[in-house]
Amino acid sequence: MNLEQIRKDIDQIDSMILKILTRRMELVLVAGKLKSRIEDREREREVLETIKEKSTRPIDAGFIEKIYAEIIKESKNLQGKNYKLVAFQGKHGAFGEVASRVWNSELIPVPCPEFRQVLEGVESKLYDYGIVPVENSLGGSVEQVNRLLINTELSVVGAVELPIHLCLLAPPGTDYREIRKVYSHPQALAQSRNFLLRNKLEPVEYSDTAGAAKMLAEERLKRSAAIASKLCAQLYNLEIIKENIEDLDRNLTRFLLLSREKSGEQGKKCSIIFSTEHKAGTLFRVLEVFAEAGINLTRIESIPNEPGNYAFFLDFVGSDRDLKVVQALEKIAERTTDLKMLGCYTERKPE
Amino acid sequence: MEKLRLTSIKNGGNNSRTVVAVNHVKVGKDFVVIAGPCSVESEEQTIETAHRVKEAGANMLRGGAFKPRTSPYDFQGLGLRGLKILEKAKRETGLPIVTEVTDPRDVSWVSEYADVLQIGTRNMQNFSLLKEVGKVGKPVLLKRGMYSTLKEWLNCAEYVLSEGNPNVILCERGIRTFETYTRNTLDLSIVPCVKEVSHLPVIVDPSHGTGRLSLIESMSLAAMVAGADGVMIEVHHNPCEALCDRDQAMPPPMFATLMRKLRFLSSYMNEINHEMYRTALEHVK
Repeated sequence: MNLEQIRKDIDQIDSMILKILTRRMELVLVAGKLKSRIEDREREREVLETIKEKSTRPIDAGFIEKIYAEIIKESKNLQGKNYKLVAFQGKHGAFGEVASRVWNSELIPVPCPEFRQVLEGVESKLYDYGIVPVENSLGGSVEQVNRLLINTELSVVGAVELPIHLCLLAPPGTDYREIRKVYSHPQALAQSRNFLLRNKLEPVEYSDTAGAAKMLAEERLKRSAAIASKLCAQLYNLEIIKENIEDLDRNLTRFLLLSREKSGEQGKKCSIIFSTEHKAGTLFRVLEVFAEAGINLTRIESIPNEPGNYAFFLDFVGSDRDLKVVQALEKIAERTTDLKMLGCYTERKPE
Repeated sequence: MEKLRLTSIKNGGNNSRTVVAVNHVKVGKDFVVIAGPCSVESEEQTIETAHRVKEAGANMLRGGAFKPRTSPYDFQGLGLRGLKILEKAKRETGLPIVTEVTDPRDVSWVSEYADVLQIGTRNMQNFSLLKEVGKVGKPVLLKRGMYSTLKEWLNCAEYVLSEGNPNVILCERGIRTFETYTRNTLDLSIVPCVKEVSHLPVIVDPSHGTGRLSLIESMSLAAMVAGADGVMIEVHHNPCEALCDRDQAMPPPMFATLMRKLRFLSSYMNEINHEMYRTALEHVK
């Protein structure tokens, strides 16, 4: 091992320390949502004792105590700031996080392994918001999410229409001519199939895009690259070999922002869920109301609910403060079962 | 010329000259001007120059990311970073990108960024490279080897066409003669020669052809009169700082003047052709 290699390893460790510290602070913020008081002397002493016990040479117990005193101080400082948390599915750098930044870059994005945990986390007040993808212009509806939305008590308070731009990322110093394997989510690999074929790259499936980028950065795989968001390049210190490698330009994903409370501001779009009786013409009778009121529908989706029964998702242009919409919804309530207003909200796009 | 199965005019027919479409630019139909720095040196230099040539009316942006230089100690180009800068310049100006590829291993990657792949004079007879660019769909700008005859040149185009890529633009860039005052001798007579034997479009590079800034304007105008389908001009927003080919880099104001003159000349030539056509018609009556 020469000095240069040692320095590279140290850089790597620094980047890991930063990530772990970020994760710690995220958890501190989540914990803050559950605590009534910020100050908790008992817990602080416990944290310090454990860490001091575990410190080994050459680390001095006094040194670690100083570092932790700072960390705890900053933790309390952060908890005092009352930051709003938004949960997304995946690892840092996932498109859910990119979408949350488009909605409001002041929110603190917190990663969750699964969609279910995003919704449950918001319901149990761990997070203020959750952001989930509902449909992609190429891949279609995200059924897993739509299924969860049928039974949720949360409200939709916003939507983000995010153009999905895929980047080919590799550890710094990689010679692009030597790249052979490309790791990513199957959906992202499919969306850049022609690019991979043109450059004779072998697609390797991975659980998620950001996860592939993270793995690549941590394992420092040779002759390999990942397909993920541009944000991942920054987060995991990867080099962007090529931006916008997706085969089609019109690659959009629609995300919904969920919250326990309804949106306070006047919305421009509404989402509803309903079921209809198993009889001829029942769905038609619902759509008829929209047609007669001159309300423009923007999405209709059916999700099999119980055997033989479907839940219908419907998005339309209009505000729930608009008389036309209110009257239409009253009529629809009579013609459906389980009508639920998911929310009335505004939609945002990246600038 | 024998054996030129795909490039010779018999196969194209006199009225079916090849038109190479590069986005909205039609090479072989309209007179095109490709302008930009010899090499991509920095983001600032490339983007600034791109904006200036766009304002003056250029149709495409040139710029080298891989530079085959006479000496291995000269600036070799920025490689991938250079390609990314060109991509950004294209995003900002909308100008299609013409850039050189020197290595068969780079062809697919350069194709991801470039709209036209340039084969430089030193690589004209690099047959493995020619085959590789023949396999991708991108238009190819094939420079004439500085030591090559018309037949050798067209045979190289034949390599690209025979691999299935019909989009070849020829480019005269000067040949080696005993003359030393100019860097090369610009062989303008090759333009009508190409038109006599081949259906492929041909453009002229007076920057390399002469190597002297003072000669570029007159040779560009002469190229248009000779029937060339376009010119390729090296423009640098600050020629004194150019890392390569400083003596032939044209400053943007001078390029803007040249563009104006080309436009005048073009409309004048249209007028002549129109007049000739009209007289001929009357004669028939």
